[in-house]
Amino acid sequence: MAATAAGRTQFQSDEAPTSLLSATTLLGPATVFVAAGLLVPLAILFRYSFNEFEPRRMMVETFSLDNYVKFFSDPYYTGVLWTTLRVSALCTLVCLVMGLPLAYVLARTQSRFKNVLIMLVVLPLFVGNAVRAAGWMTLFGSKGFLNVTLMQLGVISAPLQIMFTEGAVVAGIIAVNLPYMVLTLQSVIEGINRNVEEAAFSLGAGPTMMFRRVLLPLSLPGILAGTILTFILGMNAYATPVLLGGPKFKMMGPLVYGQFQLNNWPFGASVAFVLMTATLGLTATANILIHRRFRR
Amino acid sequence: MTTSKSRREVLLGAAALAGTASLPSMASAQAKGRIVVGTWGGDYARLLNKNIEAPLLIKDGWEVVQDQAGDPERRSKMLAEVRLPRGTTDVQGLSALNMFQMQDAGTVSQIDYGKLKNAVNLVPAMKYPYGVGHIYSGKVGVYNPKVIPTAPVSYKDVFDPKHGNKLGIIDIQYQYTMVCAALAAGGKVNDLEPGKKLLLECKNAGMRIYPTNEAFAQALKAEEFGTGVMWKARVVQWQNAGIPVTAITPTEGALAYVSGFVIPKNAPSKEGAYAYLDAMLDKSAQEAFAVDMGYNPTVSNAVVAPELNKRIGFTPEEVKKLVDLDYEYMTKNDVAFKEWWDKVLKS
Repeated sequence: MAATAAGRTQFQSDEAPTSLLSATTLLGPATVFVAAGLLVPLAILFRYSFNEFEPRRMMVETFSLDNYVKFFSDPYYTGVLWTTLRVSALCTLVCLVMGLPLAYVLARTQSRFKNVLIMLVVLPLFVGNAVRAAGWMTLFGSKGFLNVTLMQLGVISAPLQIMFTEGAVVAGIIAVNLPYMVLTLQSVIEGINRNVEEAAFSLGAGPTMMFRRVLLPLSLPGILAGTILTFILGMNAYATPVLLGGPKFKMMGPLVYGQFQLNNWPFGASVAFVLMTATLGLTATANILIHRRFRR
Repeated sequence: MTTSKSRREVLLGAAALAGTASLPSMASAQAKGRIVVGTWGGDYARLLNKNIEAPLLIKDGWEVVQDQAGDPERRSKMLAEVRLPRGTTDVQGLSALNMFQMQDAGTVSQIDYGKLKNAVNLVPAMKYPYGVGHIYSGKVGVYNPKVIPTAPVSYKDVFDPKHGNKLGIIDIQYQYTMVCAALAAGGKVNDLEPGKKLLLECKNAGMRIYPTNEAFAQALKAEEFGTGVMWKARVVQWQNAGIPVTAITPTEGALAYVSGFVIPKNAPSKEGAYAYLDAMLDKSAQEAFAVDMGYNPTVSNAVVAPELNKRIGFTPEEVKKLVDLDYEYMTKNDVAFKEWWDKVLKS
């Protein structure tokens, strides 16, 4: 142990000045880029959210909480936030339930087609969200593939209203987010030594017990990362709710854009910050709660 | 003795040759300067290039750059740039309502019609003090005869709750739809309350709302619904695409849609801006837009073939009855109308 400690000291004393320089060099450009390209505009937008909307001048500089009060006091806007939370949570849950078995199989398979299988998961990411939503539209339309097939099979007599419903949006967002969940989980499960699963089996654990006591805790970082990623993507979804949800279905992303279209930047900025705060707050809370639960 | 050239030398020679070859066109393109045009993308941008920029401006020595974006984004840009001594665009393509809104916000120059030689042919109604009308069409009633056997003749016939879910409207056209409904309900362009009431009645009867013009066209084709309102020019495009739809000019008078151009106050090249506006009013460009896009010319010397005119145009009586928006009223109430549309009509 003494040798290890000495080695560490040696390593630190030799490398520290160079590492510091390298770290600054490596982190500098990205940090400057993020600060200039994200934090500065966010700060400006945050300031705008306290301004007052004036149609002729876009906004008047002031410092008022009116935009936030308007959002939280109007059931229409809080309803949109609630819909967004509900849809994102549901999509995240379905992605996790559907993605975990798939990721497990991908991580553990010894097949020579493993790379092909991973490519098949990645493939949808090559197509933009709007294009994918267009594909769903041809599937879900009143004369789309699904309705026509069901009608020809005699299962239904009149077309089902699938387009412009919450169900269509949920299906569309799941299709977009599932690859992110699968890839995140797969990379983490691959890092878990297969021997620990076999040890659990050899000690008498069934598959459910092994999953609950071994695989789930060990893959928790992947589950958390995948869940956070899909939840954030769900909360900020734009093309799918617009194209599949139709005019009556509103989520926060399209609501923000709609306000900017009306040139109401102050209210649009405040809605954007409500969305960002809700997303960050829920993500951080879930992170803390899950860590606490599994630390016991 | 033969001298073999290396691949690098050959490439350098080819590049030099290509550079020399392009010199005259570059010189020509820079001879008069650059015009930056704010416009929607898609077909409109393509046709601006095909019918105005390439044949009348680039050929004449101008360099033309399109700044393509939706009009809300471009209007925001104009408002954001208004304090700058030098803006980024020379002309901006906007609807008549948006042109008014931008002049109301103090972002555009007054037009000096003396600088436009083609302005002598411009229809007086298209001569805005702050902008120039490029093309126009009217909001007409549309119906699919298979679904709606009795042809509507008015907005009142179209916005009739008896159609139930066979009536369709378009979300992004909330302003014009509300005005059409107001005219149907006996209201005026500066009083949309009767229209709101009628729209709610239609909604309770099952009226369908589609997000975009394209979704509306697809549903009309699929016979999900049978009647609504749309720009006559767009109806022509749909008919060309095989969608079984017929247009009627409403007896109340068709609501006019004018697309035009303004010059931002801080346009870097005012000379270029006027050159663009003048080219846009050229007879050949106007005629080409009628053929390619189905919109009516705004200059009196443009000749539209009788067969085409029958499909895209309006009779002199119909032109007289064209209804224009009340720009002041619409500007003042736009946000309130949108909130009503989202919160009440679509809820």
